[in-house]
Amino acid sequence: MEDDTKLIAASKAGDKKAFGQLVKKYEQLVYSFSFKICRDKNKAEEVLQETFINAYRGLNSFSGNSKFSTWLYRIVTNNCLMMHRKKSHEPVVSIEEADLFKGTDELQIPHWGETPQDVVLNKELKDVLDRAIQKLPLDYRIVFVMRDVEGLSTEEVGKTLNLSVPAVKSRLHRARLFLREELNPYFSK
Amino acid sequence: MKAAEHKKYLFEICEKIDLDLESPTCKKLKEHLAQCPDCAAYYDSLKKTIVLYRNYEVEMQGSRVTEILSRLDLEDDADAKGHLKIKLPKKPDA
Ligand SMILES: [Zn+2]
Repeated sequence: MEDDTKLIAASKAGDKKAFGQLVKKYEQLVYSFSFKICRDKNKAEEVLQETFINAYRGLNSFSGNSKFSTWLYRIVTNNCLMMHRKKSHEPVVSIEEADLFKGTDELQIPHWGETPQDVVLNKELKDVLDRAIQKLPLDYRIVFVMRDVEGLSTEEVGKTLNLSVPAVKSRLHRARLFLREELNPYFSK
Repeated sequence: MKAAEHKKYLFEICEKIDLDLESPTCKKLKEHLAQCPDCAAYYDSLKKTIVLYRNYEVEMQGSRVTEILSRLDLEDDADAKGHLKIKLPKKPDA
């Protein structure tokens, strides 16, 4: 953090070398987060570059009250949302509670086969995971990735997305159920 | 099993999936999971869903520092030239 503070101050003063060090430090994080939201390597690459360009131009609005990484997450999120609105022809899937717990009287929950925690994520499985999460509306996808994948706290996610804590929890809840449903046919036997 | 009886547990599972089952707030849930194979299967599958996405990492090849910095330089150059054209006042003695 100490390092970041100095680098950020220098970058604000126009020192591009200092900014380059920030890019080096955070580019993997930004790329990986972008990919997890876009699920597309080219888009992630585009978002990565836009994010750092925006970050440099907007550095003066970074107050230092949050972590620099959290601030970058917010820029990534905005870029993903913008790109999504511009290029998206994806159908909007409604994920209502009713769809998730279908009104059957008898509940039969299939057991998932062995998916050990360190299961090898081969190409086929990655495709399954990509397809499932791509069906999730972007707002929900972002909350799921931030909270469950990147491990931000509910409060941090709320602050980054300007959402209340209950709103984050509700989206997270639905996202988790939706993804489980989507993966269910693949894993249950 | 009757769905209605378990719906509240299914809901609770989803709410508490990121908590340690050993924590005091999970006591009742843990007891239910121990005697209900359906909810236990559900808990297991939800946990696995999250773990699968968590383990799906991507790595970028190489660094983009050079590209990003040269884009910034280019923009600044264009900007500077723009300013020169538009804003540079004529020298009074010219
Ligand atoms: Zn149960």
